Amino acid sequence: MQPAWAVLGLVLASAACGAPSKRVLTFSGSALGREGEVISRQLERFRRLNPSITVELRSTPDASDQRRQLYVQWLNAHAPDPDVLQLDVVWTAEFAAAGWIAGLDSYSPPVDHFVDATLNANRWNGRLFALPWFVDVGMLYWRTDLVPHAPATLEELTMLAAAAQRDHGVPFGFVWQGARYEGLVTVFLEQLGAHGGRILDADGHVTVDSENAVAALTAMRDQIVASGITPEAVLSWQEEQARLAFQNGQAAFMRNWPYAYALLNDPSRSRVSGRFAVAPVPGAAGGAPTAALGGSQLAINAFSDQPDEAWRLIEFLLQPEQMVERAQIAGQFPPRTDLYEGEALAAALEISPAAALQVIVRAVPRPVSPVYSQLSDILQVSLHRALTRQQEPRAALVEAADAMRGLLARVKLVPAES
Amino acid sequence: MIDRSSRLGWLLVAPAITTMAAIAIAPIVWTIWESLHFHDLRMPWLGRPFVGLANYQEALVDRRFRGAFIHTVVFAVVTVTLELTAGLVVALAVDGIRRARGVIRTMVLLPWAIPTVVVGLTWRFMFETQSGPTWFADPIAAWVPIVLADVWKTTPFVAILLLAGLQNIDASLYEAASVDGAGPWQMFTNVTLPMLRPALVVAFLFRALDAFRVFDLVYVMTGGGPGTATEPLAVYTFVSLLQNLRFGFGAALSVIAFGTTLLIALVTIRLFGRAAFTEPA
Repeated sequence: MQPAWAVLGLVLASAACGAPSKRVLTFSGSALGREGEVISRQLERFRRLNPSITVELRSTPDASDQRRQLYVQWLNAHAPDPDVLQLDVVWTAEFAAAGWIAGLDSYSPPVDHFVDATLNANRWNGRLFALPWFVDVGMLYWRTDLVPHAPATLEELTMLAAAAQRDHGVPFGFVWQGARYEGLVTVFLEQLGAHGGRILDADGHVTVDSENAVAALTAMRDQIVASGITPEAVLSWQEEQARLAFQNGQAAFMRNWPYAYALLNDPSRSRVSGRFAVAPVPGAAGGAPTAALGGSQLAINAFSDQPDEAWRLIEFLLQPEQMVERAQIAGQFPPRTDLYEGEALAAALEISPAAALQVIVRAVPRPVSPVYSQLSDILQVSLHRALTRQQEPRAALVEAADAMRGLLARVKLVPAES
Repeated sequence: MIDRSSRLGWLLVAPAITTMAAIAIAPIVWTIWESLHFHDLRMPWLGRPFVGLANYQEALVDRRFRGAFIHTVVFAVVTVTLELTAGLVVALAVDGIRRARGVIRTMVLLPWAIPTVVVGLTWRFMFETQSGPTWFADPIAAWVPIVLADVWKTTPFVAILLLAGLQNIDASLYEAASVDGAGPWQMFTNVTLPMLRPALVVAFLFRALDAFRVFDLVYVMTGGGPGTATEPLAVYTFVSLLQNLRFGFGAALSVIAFGTTLLIALVTIRLFGRAAFTEPA
């Protein structure tokens, strides 16, 4: 018995001593497929440039909800790892308000080089908590062989879509993501902006029950039930179902993220390669073309014991060279405006940087709030009820707005009356 | 005074009791305690104050919760009824087969062996249409694929339980009944059903408790939609706990679900089940 215990004690003791001798900087983010390829290449370069820092990739689930749950568990327990976190754009406020990620202003980040909207989504109480790593924006894909030109207004979109269905026999005019999930909120945000509405106003008041919002939601429902340009099936569709319908030549227009471009343009898989283009989702009368802002951010764990090294890694990953490489391999748009003027990005992206920038400058973040996920949940349910005709758009939005106001009051995030 | 043999008895069951307390009772007690607090993981600055029954009060006035509760009850009633009926029919049929019974029994059991998530995805795929009316966009029609998938998957389980019960019925009872001039229907109602009661109660309990906790099938097939028209209690609890990170409120919902299932189990056993667990079948 005794020798066994002694050995076990030795092992435990040596494990306890061994751990802190070499500090490892950990990075957590998407490590699959092309994104994984980019990040492992770039971490390798970082290691060569910074031999004193040992950096490791900690892979986390790619499904956004699951990654968030994991982060919340770790940060709630004040875990010092991972030091650098890849955040979805809608998490920054939540994590900042909870004190889980460190303020970045003291590092004087190069904020002048970034698209404004991407920075605004990463500020909480006036302080910057994360920096945009790559941007995602909602875009309108349209078939150049079925439609004469990109629509300038939503009304024109409806007209052109109906004409394509009638004259060319394409089954669907306009497809989008209508399942009850986060994607529906981004589609709605674009239609809302197109009608001149917002979910929260600049002071944080809930305005999702405004006349503009009712008009936007009614227009979405009418695409399904009145003009019939959108099939009822979209009510259970996410990005991939819409992409497949468009890729198989079944739709004249599609709302989707940039990732679809390269896939649609691959002639071995796609029936529409070379026969489509992208444009901003157009505005209606009284509104402006709007693109929902998505994408990933980089932030420093507030409990990290090596924040300066973490910052060095972030600074490295945000260099133009890394961003162009990411655009080339993973097709993800850089958030730095200066890159869109250079040649390097044009060579790296399949989509033309000018067309991309045209959409990116119209990017609008979703509400920046620590309870965003719950605001979104409330809105998803109401939007879906209206689109599936369980409720009238106005009643659904009034109910959502009441629930959102109640929630903000309960968590003491009511804007001060001035 | 405790005599030596009973003390030894307590000593011998102590490890079992300790294990049960640690893995079953402690988490339940902890969940109940948690449900009496305001605890939102997203807002550490609000702390974790004791709020009494506030979370339960919120649940009672919450339309989404009431909807979820009703959906769960209706789902349980409909699926358990269908499963017990279909399971009984299948069990009687298999019981009547004289040849290759082992092979047939295995084949009958196959759907039960498929993981629920796979069943859900397959049935969703079958009901997903690109044009025309969509099952998953209608608050009533969306239930059809869910109920069908559940019945398809769990009827075999009920059938096997009932088949075991059927095979335990003494053949002499049927002989006596036929001597008394009973027809097939009378034999079924006067011999088979009463003798099958213990197996029926066990099958009912298993299915009712399972149906009340339904999660995976709905999560995969509709996510609770359209709107929240097919959202059962377990999915709403999941949303509150793991998506909205409201641990206090989520714990209250779990406690309500736990309390209801416990009640169902106790009432079932009290009403017509005691014999199922005390007398040999």
